[in-house]
Amino acid sequence: MRHVRGFDVVRPLSIGVLMFMMLPLVFLPLTSIFIFGTSKGLTSFWAALTAPEAVFALKLSMATSFWATVFNVLFGLFAAYVLSRYNFWGRNALIVTISLPTAIPTAVAGFALLLLWGPYGILGRFLAPQGIELMFTAGAIILANIFVTFPLAFGVIKPVFDTMSRSLEEASATIGATRWQTFWHVTLPSLRGAIVSGALLTFARAVGEFGSTILVSGNLAGRTQTAPLYIFAKFNEGQIEAANAIAIVLALFSFLIFSVLFFARDWLDVD
Amino acid sequence: MTPTQVRTTSEPVSKEPKETAPQIAARIIGLSKRFGKTSVLEDIHFDVAEGEILVLLGASGSGKTTILRIIAGLEQPYTGRVILHGKNVTDLPARERGVGVIFQSYALFPKMTVEKNIGYGLMIRRRRRKEIREAVNELIKLVQLEEHRKKYPSQLSGGQQQRVAIARTLAYKPEVLLFDEPFGALDAQTRVKLRREIRTLLKRVNVPAIFITHDQEEALELGDRIAVINVGHIEQIGTPEEVYNHPATEYVATFLGAANILPGVIRRGNVEVAERIIPPAVTLKKFEEGQPVKLVFRPEDVRLSKTGVLPVGHCLISSGIVEEVSFVGAFERLSVRLELNESLTCDGVETPFYLTTGTPEKGAKPVIATRPRPDANATRLHVGDRVVVGLASFTVLPESTSTVTSQDQAKRS
Repeated sequence: MRHVRGFDVVRPLSIGVLMFMMLPLVFLPLTSIFIFGTSKGLTSFWAALTAPEAVFALKLSMATSFWATVFNVLFGLFAAYVLSRYNFWGRNALIVTISLPTAIPTAVAGFALLLLWGPYGILGRFLAPQGIELMFTAGAIILANIFVTFPLAFGVIKPVFDTMSRSLEEASATIGATRWQTFWHVTLPSLRGAIVSGALLTFARAVGEFGSTILVSGNLAGRTQTAPLYIFAKFNEGQIEAANAIAIVLALFSFLIFSVLFFARDWLDVD
Repeated sequence: MTPTQVRTTSEPVSKEPKETAPQIAARIIGLSKRFGKTSVLEDIHFDVAEGEILVLLGASGSGKTTILRIIAGLEQPYTGRVILHGKNVTDLPARERGVGVIFQSYALFPKMTVEKNIGYGLMIRRRRRKEIREAVNELIKLVQLEEHRKKYPSQLSGGQQQRVAIARTLAYKPEVLLFDEPFGALDAQTRVKLRREIRTLLKRVNVPAIFITHDQEEALELGDRIAVINVGHIEQIGTPEEVYNHPATEYVATFLGAANILPGVIRRGNVEVAERIIPPAVTLKKFEEGQPVKLVFRPEDVRLSKTGVLPVGHCLISSGIVEEVSFVGAFERLSVRLELNESLTCDGVETPFYLTTGTPEKGAKPVIATRPRPDANATRLHVGDRVVVGLASFTVLPESTSTVTSQDQAKRS
């Protein structure tokens, strides 16, 4: 290295360029949400935030995302266990299939759900006469969330399973533990970090889901309207403050989740 | 189990006194194992007595780990039985066998403290908390980890982790302890220190143990008995003294330390002479007149003499020329090219062994000799010196034992 002692001009320059590039791409859009949202004063911001439809949209988003996360974490855990422990014909095809939903446009995902469960869908047409309608309900939103966040928890948990030494489980077995005891006392604690970060990722992604939910939910204000749909609806109606208030909440929320993921890495990985 | 039972090993020659037959803790009968069509173990038999340490010694790929895993119940044998304290456990799953395994990586549970790791076996057996605490306290004291009890495995040194692993198995009073290359991950100095510690500990708790290693020095120091394993079968089983000094096969001879091997032939069944150097049980019954044999001897059993006079009890094999002298720390190593065909004589008397090789023209390997420093200083030898080569001790093996080992030998070198 030539610049052992002298002032290395590349360092501040490169950092400067990086920040300058990020400014119009990331920083400014984010800042403008906050500037606009609070420009009419905090009272109007608060009023927009506490409007019944807004509160409902936020609650619905949280609830549907929560259940989708619970399902996908449990499923991801199970799938990771099966796919890293057993080798069978079609295993790789299954892994690819699980990962597929990330690559599918969310609108396509929503459309696919409609074609299956909708009143005229492949399965839905048999359910509709029974009075069972899945689409355009909170259940449809959960289904859509599950679909689009399907591989996230699995993707975080599986690598940990793969690298986990088999001898830990073998040791537990020779000591006298049943499979369940081994899973509960030995395997699961080692997966804690992966489960937490997988859940946070899934949840963050589900809360923000738009493309598939707008197709399957029906977008009924106060009934099936999630927070991102609310923002879109209010924006279309010209109610910028109302949309902005929720936008701020969602932005802060995702910021919070990623801070946890970033700063709690050590806690998530080791003791 | 009856007290009259004695050990049956594949090598019935055992010099141990057998007045009191030891209680058998583990008995392995006719074990074999195949992976697909390849046979990895064939007809393995051995016993481990109560409180005994048996070392399974073999190169990597010899099948020793598979034996261990079968005993632990982590692998199913193709044929054969595993008997622990008189009970056939062959069809029992690992968790019902009560065997303690110390894995090479120790396999301590990373999210549990030292205490929790040690108490795990009792915890899953749903013992009372007070009972667990008392047992853990006792074991922590036994393995001297009092000040580390609240630590996690990642905060411990390799040796400390190993002690936790042992204590964790001792907690549930295992039928037998199985050690899978337990010193593999440690540096040379720590290995030596730890294996002494562990031997002392095992003798104190008096739990029978089976060790796996590829390190012959470790095997000699650690084991009450050693089973030398080569490509899936036991070559020899016996005390360290037996396997080292009286190897049953060429593989055993070369695997346990350095060995010189000279081909020879039985010429005349001269009982009296042979008896003075070689234990009669090993030599005489086995050989016929004219049978090709191998003379096996350790470098430290070679005596070189410039004057031609050898100490009493040594057999003169030949004269030779010193080809190389090198200093290897504690001793001096010489390689000597033997001269021509000569018959072996001990103290001037002809022996029944006739050496057929050793001539430089045939490209035979030179004999390797080592001398302790005082000897080397007393009579200095230089390259080109003509010496008389004598042996303090040697073993005679039939020629045929080398068939299995030759390609294996090439692999190792």
